[in-house]
Amino acid sequence: MQNLELKPAVDKYQPLVLTPLEDIRGFLFHHLGRFLLFLITFSSVLLMLLIFFFVIREAIPFLMKFNLTEFLTTKSWYPEASTPKFGALSLIVGSLYVTIAALVFAVPTGILAAIFLSDIVSLKIGDFIKPVIEILAAIPSVAYGFFAVLVLAPWMQNKLGFTTGTNALNASIILSIMALPTIISVAEDSISTIGRELREASYALGATRFETIFKVVIPAAHSGIIAAIVLGMMRAIGETMVVWMASGNANQIPSPWWDLSQSVRTMTATIAGDMGETPKDSLHYGALFAIGVVLLVMTFLLNIISEYFLASAKRKSGKS
Amino acid sequence: MRHIIRRITDKAFTILTGTSVVLLTSVLLIILGPMVWRGAKAVIFKDTIEFRKMQLDLYNRGNSEALKIETSETESFRRTVYKIVDDFKHGIDTEELIDKSKQIYRQFGKELRYRGITGKQYQKIRSLARDLRGRLQAAFESNDKKIIKENIDYVLQYRKNKYFVDTTAAEFFTLAEDFYKTIENIDLNKRQEYTASLQQIEEVIFQLLGPRPDEPLPALTMERYGATRWDLAQKLLDNLLWSQQWIQQEAGQPLTKIRVSRAEQFAGTKLEPLFGYVENNLAKMLKPEYTFYWQYFIDDSTPGHYFGGVGPEILGTLLLTLLAMLFVFPLGVISAAYLVECASDNIAVRIIRMCINTLAGVPSIVFGLFGLAFFVLFFIPLFGGPSKPCILAASMTLAVLTLPVMIRASEEAIRSVPQTYKEASLGLGASRFRTFVKVTLPAALPGILTGVILSISRVAGETAPILFTGAVALGPLPKSLFDPTRTLSYGSYDIAVGDRLAMMVPHNQYGMVVTLVLLILSLNAIAIVLRARVFRRLRGE
Repeated sequence: MQNLELKPAVDKYQPLVLTPLEDIRGFLFHHLGRFLLFLITFSSVLLMLLIFFFVIREAIPFLMKFNLTEFLTTKSWYPEASTPKFGALSLIVGSLYVTIAALVFAVPTGILAAIFLSDIVSLKIGDFIKPVIEILAAIPSVAYGFFAVLVLAPWMQNKLGFTTGTNALNASIILSIMALPTIISVAEDSISTIGRELREASYALGATRFETIFKVVIPAAHSGIIAAIVLGMMRAIGETMVVWMASGNANQIPSPWWDLSQSVRTMTATIAGDMGETPKDSLHYGALFAIGVVLLVMTFLLNIISEYFLASAKRKSGKS
Repeated sequence: MRHIIRRITDKAFTILTGTSVVLLTSVLLIILGPMVWRGAKAVIFKDTIEFRKMQLDLYNRGNSEALKIETSETESFRRTVYKIVDDFKHGIDTEELIDKSKQIYRQFGKELRYRGITGKQYQKIRSLARDLRGRLQAAFESNDKKIIKENIDYVLQYRKNKYFVDTTAAEFFTLAEDFYKTIENIDLNKRQEYTASLQQIEEVIFQLLGPRPDEPLPALTMERYGATRWDLAQKLLDNLLWSQQWIQQEAGQPLTKIRVSRAEQFAGTKLEPLFGYVENNLAKMLKPEYTFYWQYFIDDSTPGHYFGGVGPEILGTLLLTLLAMLFVFPLGVISAAYLVECASDNIAVRIIRMCINTLAGVPSIVFGLFGLAFFVLFFIPLFGGPSKPCILAASMTLAVLTLPVMIRASEEAIRSVPQTYKEASLGLGASRFRTFVKVTLPAALPGILTGVILSISRVAGETAPILFTGAVALGPLPKSLFDPTRTLSYGSYDIAVGDRLAMMVPHNQYGMVVTLVLLILSLNAIAIVLRARVFRRLRGE
């Protein structure tokens, strides 16, 4: 038998009580570290402020010289004329026009698909459908634009007899496809967080599935669904490549208003298309940054709206 | 009754929701299916000998000896084509014939001067030659066979004339005979039509077979080779065999397109055999073979992406994304760590979260404006860099764009590490910092990696932010981080809309965009698989 010698687990015994110096050092390290981490994290805020600051700064020389109301309310956009005119109304309307048209296609389809995923099929089948949505979300916008220009536009022109294939309809169809993944995933989240109790209570009263969904589930999930629509709208209004390639870039407000076969021009496409040809510090350059400010403000407001509705959806699901 | 209606509505609703999903799937298939199919043709296709010549010349690929043998094999078939065209041209192209007769006359005049004849004789022969030239010209320009016959006969009676035998002027007579033979079977009133059509035919043959062996090499690379692909050759053959005409069938009706057989158009002429010959021997002239052109992914391209691949574009995209990841990874992970581990729900954290959400919602084109105004015009010059669009500015812009994605993904990954892991570490006496570095971070790393891959796929596809900050459509390979670069995303835009030349090579258009889409989808697939594995492991399966 070997003589077992007991070794202490720790070579050096340390007193449990820290010396004052160690205590202060630990305290400082803890708080300095936290502060450093906070600073790094705060860079997001800094970046956000920098974005606002620099985009607005470049727009200021233009806004000083040019009347803001005229910029927002007149329709003629002739930046390179001898007496340049910067009326961005038709660009703003163009952006809203294709966005709203895209939502008309995307919202019903998106909500129906969300209901299908959350209420109608089992989770297993849902797992087969979700990759489809993920792939649709992953395809880059320039690839959608490519499809719009080289496939959809010739088809519209030759088969549907439109005067031009690159028009508001083309752009809004593609935008709706791009907005769908956002709408579906946010709407599905909010619909499936509505508890089973509500649904079961409704079924117990003899309601069909259709009635349950329309009269119980959707009213209960309405804030999440509104948030989904707003987020989809943000996605569509900020999209550049697709509208630049597919909308035709004609500076006009469609008349009659429902005629989607006309070309329009959006804010994003104007910035993308004109920026390459403008010298820095010209009025035109400033005007494009001013459009950027309008876009930034619009998306900022939409973001606040979506935050509000998402927060209220969270509150409700927390209560139930 | 009401009961039935309720049930029908219920069923209809179920079907409607299903339809929306079917619609979604079919949209995906409609977009991706044909795109991938056509894009694959940039890599796998039937090439021709012209393609192999191009590969040898531009990239020094292939066996030059074997190619030489193949070329000489094709040459004999091509020569027949050229001969048929040339023979027919002798009789039809008035301007060329007149030029030729003038040239003979001039040559003959020079020759006469050195023959040691008296001035008077010289004058006489010279005026005779001028007379012959005039007669020939009259014959070439005339549309009346009777006049032509008179003129040609007049010229030919001098054939045995002692002044002309064995001189350049003898070519007058071969020219006259050739011309007479050719026009025998031609309706002369159609000469205009023939000339126009012949021009098109020559153009098509040039596109099909490239420049003739005796012609000087064209300056543009794209004109140096004939049809490099068999499918293109087939299309050109169709253009050769059929001409398209717009015809108004009834007054007031729009013009309709009809196809007219050129063989019929040239029926009875010397050119007629050309069409059958080319149709039957095209494969022998071009020697098609199936190839797998994997070098598409590394090759540079000639202007307009006419030949070559997407190598520089792939390189540029990788460079931009990796650099952007370098900037965003530490920032994203540290921010996420702070938000999960340290942050309490105070006002500062709420502001940070709101800013992250706002940042995620900023349109990509506004990031482009910001990148231009901040990185290109302010930040990089601040450190002494050049104030122009470059890779560094573009990747920084992309890093800002993808920061919210990165923070959210890392936050989720860190949050999903079970609390028990941390408690075990803390219980052993490790500090919170040590716990995070040694326990939480390794456990969360696969999840964070998923976030990184998703950010890469987002960044690689973005076009709008790099429009003004560092992407170009054409240009040399970047030498430093202060040069702009080509990317797949901007290249896809340019090849679809900007580049007129690229319209002629649809396989390269689709090839570029499919390379981009497949790159991004495979990154996403990796991310999805990784996420599923991490999820399983953390649940302890």
